[in-house]
Amino acid sequence: MLKTLSTLEFGETGRVTEIRASRHELNCMGLRTGKKLKMITRQPIKGPVVVLIDEVEIAMGLDLAAQVTVNIE
Amino acid sequence: MKEQPDNTITVLMMGNPNVGKSALFNRLTGANAVVSNYPGTTVDYTAGKLIEGHTTYEIIDAPGTYSLEPHDAAEKVAVLLLDERRGDVVMIVLDATKIERGLYLAFEIMEREYPCIIALNMTDVAHDKQIKVNAAGIQRLLGIPVVETTAISGEGVKKLAGAIRKAQVADMDAIRKRLEGSGEDRDETVPCPGCGGCRGCG
Repeated sequence: MLKTLSTLEFGETGRVTEIRASRHELNCMGLRTGKKLKMITRQPIKGPVVVLIDEVEIAMGLDLAAQVTVNIE
Repeated sequence: MKEQPDNTITVLMMGNPNVGKSALFNRLTGANAVVSNYPGTTVDYTAGKLIEGHTTYEIIDAPGTYSLEPHDAAEKVAVLLLDERRGDVVMIVLDATKIERGLYLAFEIMEREYPCIIALNMTDVAHDKQIKVNAAGIQRLLGIPVVETTAISGEGVKKLAGAIRKAQVADMDAIRKRLEGSGEDRDETVPCPGCGGCRGCG
């Protein structure tokens, strides 16, 4: 099932299938297509999204997260 | 490697935020740069001297950056230092527990054809977390010296200082070939179970 990263539930895991935002910005943080990630937290009031990739936590704005598509396994 | 008239070689330390560049810098130069356990501590650069053998190195500790497209003022300082070729040699510092993220920046720097060496820092933390990194494999793959270090205890720092003069410009085509497995040094790779993608496992 495909979902945008901004709508992932807490603790949900999936694999990145598409990044529509500036790829460079997320790639340099370790988030790239094909990577497995886990949702750590999604802060309220359009707050940041934090995901776990390879033991590394990555935080990003909600708008950026909305442009990342994840396949839930 | 261009040398200044007074025989000083400038070494620019680059790496992601919070990988231990300043801690390593302090170990190398005996300086006292501020070190903390969160990213973004170094916002301007610090310079120090290291004498190894008969060579004097000027080591520059740059702020951490995730890529060469700066997102904030501190990253801009780091990128500017690199752009101005303030370093004859670039020492890329990687966190052994977050190799992949660090390699993104490493490749950006290597593509610019600077003579590079890699300091694989925080090997103690990697060991504690049972993360195995095949330093020899990375060195073989990239064709530039890779030295494992633990800045906090000083392990590997002497070896790192000695390796600066062996800095190499990475041959990106050769790296690509080795990655695709068509390079002739493919046979040299030794089996290494569980190293996490160095392609040395066969």
